[in-house]
Amino acid sequence: MGQESIPIPGEPSGAADPKLPGPFAVGRYARKLQEWLRGRARVLLIGEVTGLGRSRVQVYFELRDGEGAVPCAMWLSDLERMGLDERTLRDGAEVVVGGGPDYYPGGPQSSPGFTFRATHLRLAGEGDLLARLEQLRRQLEAEGLFDLQKQLRRPRLPRTIGVVTGERGAARQDFLAGLERRGWRGTVIWGFAPVQDRHAAPAITRALQDLAARPEVEAIVVTRGGGSLADLWAFCDETLCRTTAMLRVPVISAVGHERDRTLIDEVAAVACSTPTHAAEAAVPLDCREARESLDRCAAALGRTAAAAVGDRTRHLAALARGPARALQRERFVLNQSIRELRAAAERRVGERADYQRRIALVVLGRAGRRAAGAAAAAVGESGHRAAALERAGQAAVRRRRDALAGNGVALRAHDPERTLERGYARAERDDGEPVTTAAAAAAAGRVRLRFADGALGATVEDEADGE
Amino acid sequence: MSEEPKSYEAAVERLEQIIDRLDSGQAGLRETLDLCKEGRELVTYCASELDAVGEGLKELRLDELAARLETQ
Repeated sequence: MGQESIPIPGEPSGAADPKLPGPFAVGRYARKLQEWLRGRARVLLIGEVTGLGRSRVQVYFELRDGEGAVPCAMWLSDLERMGLDERTLRDGAEVVVGGGPDYYPGGPQSSPGFTFRATHLRLAGEGDLLARLEQLRRQLEAEGLFDLQKQLRRPRLPRTIGVVTGERGAARQDFLAGLERRGWRGTVIWGFAPVQDRHAAPAITRALQDLAARPEVEAIVVTRGGGSLADLWAFCDETLCRTTAMLRVPVISAVGHERDRTLIDEVAAVACSTPTHAAEAAVPLDCREARESLDRCAAALGRTAAAAVGDRTRHLAALARGPARALQRERFVLNQSIRELRAAAERRVGERADYQRRIALVVLGRAGRRAAGAAAAAVGESGHRAAALERAGQAAVRRRRDALAGNGVALRAHDPERTLERGYARAERDDGEPVTTAAAAAAAGRVRLRFADGALGATVEDEADGE
Repeated sequence: MSEEPKSYEAAVERLEQIIDRLDSGQAGLRETLDLCKEGRELVTYCASELDAVGEGLKELRLDELAARLETQ
């Protein structure tokens, strides 16, 4: 640039100028600036075309990516030389342009401006996109943005899922089919967004943010069907990927086909190959299977509780039966002894009665014989007297014998065993004690009925009625 | 059970612990009955969670929800 200064008439007014070269005439400065810029290196740039416009002589547009933009212009003559279809250069197209910086100094009727003067333009190929993608991938990975989503907890059974997808895409139906396969019928909030053009990335980013801001949303799925890398390019958008990485809600991506690997797949919590798989990743639990397993669990718990109580009850009952059996054995022995004692006592009473009878007979016999002897001795006194004495002696013997026989009958009449022989039965308690009243029988609940030929157990069923 | 489980997976995890403990046969009667009671409560909770996503798919639109929020 020149160092020429312009003389100004009169005294300067206002603040003093800083110590800089100049002032220079602006028109000349503008032309010098143009020369200087045109002398810069010519380069190739890659980016997305936005704000495309045409004048009679040139096309102009901004070339953009996530970090910035450069205004570009291309003479129509240069553009025609490229042999591009009219429709190829459009907003949203990823292009490679060749050229260098330029400056238009403006004219009497037109504004000045900076532009990147393109002399070469072609659509970006997959190779270009892959190179850009790789560069961005390395950058985001180095910043640790691939790990953030993977650290989030993913609920196995979310109630509400957010889905970002195209409203009319096949991905929507595939996703619903995946949910049906899981047997999941909760709430889906659709965040519909364009999934292909230059509006796609900002719209998807906004939908993701809005869904994540809703407290009920527990997982978000981002999905679209397959396409070329250029079609899927929105899902490699740097802002979209940075936003996704920072969300508090886990994001499940299913973009394109299995072989496609977009950048959002890298930052998402889980990357799936199809919308159906994304649905299954969003609901990891197979609801039908879970319900069956839960039913089995409930049944097992019921059985365990019942068995725990039942086993222990049986064990306790077995323990309780031990002493009861011992008591019963003792009671049986005791009853046996009582019966034997009673039988012995009864035998002794009978024997004593016989003995007394025999003694009485002997005594009476002797008395009779003594009386007969006395009568014989006095035979000379009187035959009548002797005869009278004889009769008196025999009568006395008869009386005594009759009395003794009467005693025997009376004794037998009082023998309880005799009563049983007559067809009666005696009620006893288990311990052998006789039960003599209906009330006592009712109280005992269970009695033994003793017959002449043996005993039987009996249960008292009716209450005593006092008859 | 002293508190409501925070999530389905937490409930299932606790349920599995309970069943392992019961299967071990080492729990006494009191512990067995307590574990069965807690287990039944967890089963009820899990069933209610499954019921919540089993009655019918509900589809909402984010743009409509946002519009509704703005008019409120």
